[in-house]
Amino acid sequence: MPSPAIIGQSLISGTFIGALYALLGLGLSLSWGMLRQINLAHFALAFLGAYLTYQLSGVGGMDPLLTLLLIAPAFFLLGVGMHWVFVRFAVGPLGSLLATFGLTVIIESVIQWIWTADFLKLESPYGSASLRVGIFYLPVAGLITLAAAAALCFGTWAVLRYTDLGRAMRAAAEDGPMAAAFGVNVNALSRLLSGFASACAGVAGVALALSYTLAPSQIYAWIGVIFAVVMIGGLGKPLGPLIAGLVIGVSEAVTMALTAPAWAPVVSFSLLILVLLARARNI
Amino acid sequence: MLELREIGVAYGVATALRGVSLRIGAGELVCVVGPNGAGKTTLVNAIGGLIRIVAGGIELDGADIGALPAHEICARGIAMVPEGRRLWTNMTVRENLELGGYRSGARAARKEWMERVVAMFPLLGARLDAPAGTLSGGQQQMVAIGRALMAQPRLLLLDEPSLGLAPAIVLDMFNVIRDIHASGVAVLLVEQNVARALEIASRAYILDEGQIVAEGTPAELRNESHIARAYLGL
Repeated sequence: MPSPAIIGQSLISGTFIGALYALLGLGLSLSWGMLRQINLAHFALAFLGAYLTYQLSGVGGMDPLLTLLLIAPAFFLLGVGMHWVFVRFAVGPLGSLLATFGLTVIIESVIQWIWTADFLKLESPYGSASLRVGIFYLPVAGLITLAAAAALCFGTWAVLRYTDLGRAMRAAAEDGPMAAAFGVNVNALSRLLSGFASACAGVAGVALALSYTLAPSQIYAWIGVIFAVVMIGGLGKPLGPLIAGLVIGVSEAVTMALTAPAWAPVVSFSLLILVLLARARNI
Repeated sequence: MLELREIGVAYGVATALRGVSLRIGAGELVCVVGPNGAGKTTLVNAIGGLIRIVAGGIELDGADIGALPAHEICARGIAMVPEGRRLWTNMTVRENLELGGYRSGARAARKEWMERVVAMFPLLGARLDAPAGTLSGGQQQMVAIGRALMAQPRLLLLDEPSLGLAPAIVLDMFNVIRDIHASGVAVLLVEQNVARALEIASRAYILDEGQIVAEGTPAELRNESHIARAYLGL
């Protein structure tokens, strides 16, 4: 049995990785649940964001957090453009999965071409610093990731719940033609939402670059667990990825501390199966 | 106010409406009756911009609206109570009503209209924070009508508002429609309940197999014996 300090530290690191799950899951969940687009390229976009952070900050000398000011708007436009293409060619949910898989491969190749397949690590003041609280260490990059995940998830939740814009988006997601009949410009709102989801990938990318070593092949390492997070959290529910991400992150970390790292994926997918079974019973 | 000139609608190769002409004067209550599958819902959806017309034209106050998207038609003061209500069932009654008044022309007076709708349907007052999908059919129909009123329309399209309601509620529903019309809103009422619809309409059209087969005042239609027998169940 590991010491309480090790369990405690793994709870902390689980929370921080859970926050990154939430950041990666939010955009995917929104575009899947509200736009019926399964955007597999979300992961590749996040890595593109991470590499851009590496370039602007590690090579260009910008503060990594300031890169958000460039990356978030650029990714927003990318998402808007992607949605325009999807509408223009009437791409359905399955089509979007295939098209964005293709896009993933393209982005991976571009990353490999520009930054090579070698492992890269952004050296930043945030990446190496940590706060000491009692016997525990809180990495600053993790705290930043957690703050960003909580702010984006709660912010999105509040906008969808309390503003006309957000309610119109929810209405459009449930019955688009009816929303249009009551004055909602469904296409414009969908573009906005797609842009926001894509900007979330950019934010997740910055967070990735702060804490993780980057390699193009890593794009695929996140897909399984993030899909589990998105499904457990509920499609299109902005608080879902935060809750599910933290639960999975913490349970994985504790499992790793108690047994062996190889058991971690078993936890997330067992949780997924349990949640799906419980939900099926409620229907 | 609203004028349909020879409009045609097709689903793929199947023609749903052919050469339909129809006119609604300002503040008029016009009803469209006809058998199932005659194209009544298609007609409502075509006016609301939910489906494209392939022939003819639709004019609102002399402006061509036939090619406008639905949200711009709504912006010009046309609201609908669609067949089957089509509430946003995951959202609360309050949210449904507030979204009814989403269009920019209606937003300013939304609070006031919310009070009017609740006064009109007191039962809804207690259920404002319930998800719309948890209400009974009659209550959902009230929300659907309330939502359309929240848009403060000049023309209200009602597609089978009495469908699936208990007889006592149907009577209430027709009284509500009469009140709405009396407040100056033009109404296009599509109904299966022909007898009640003709009681409150000033003119009626009979639609069959996608075409208008007769039009006139309720009295005129009742007097034409073959029409009365074939379509009005008299």
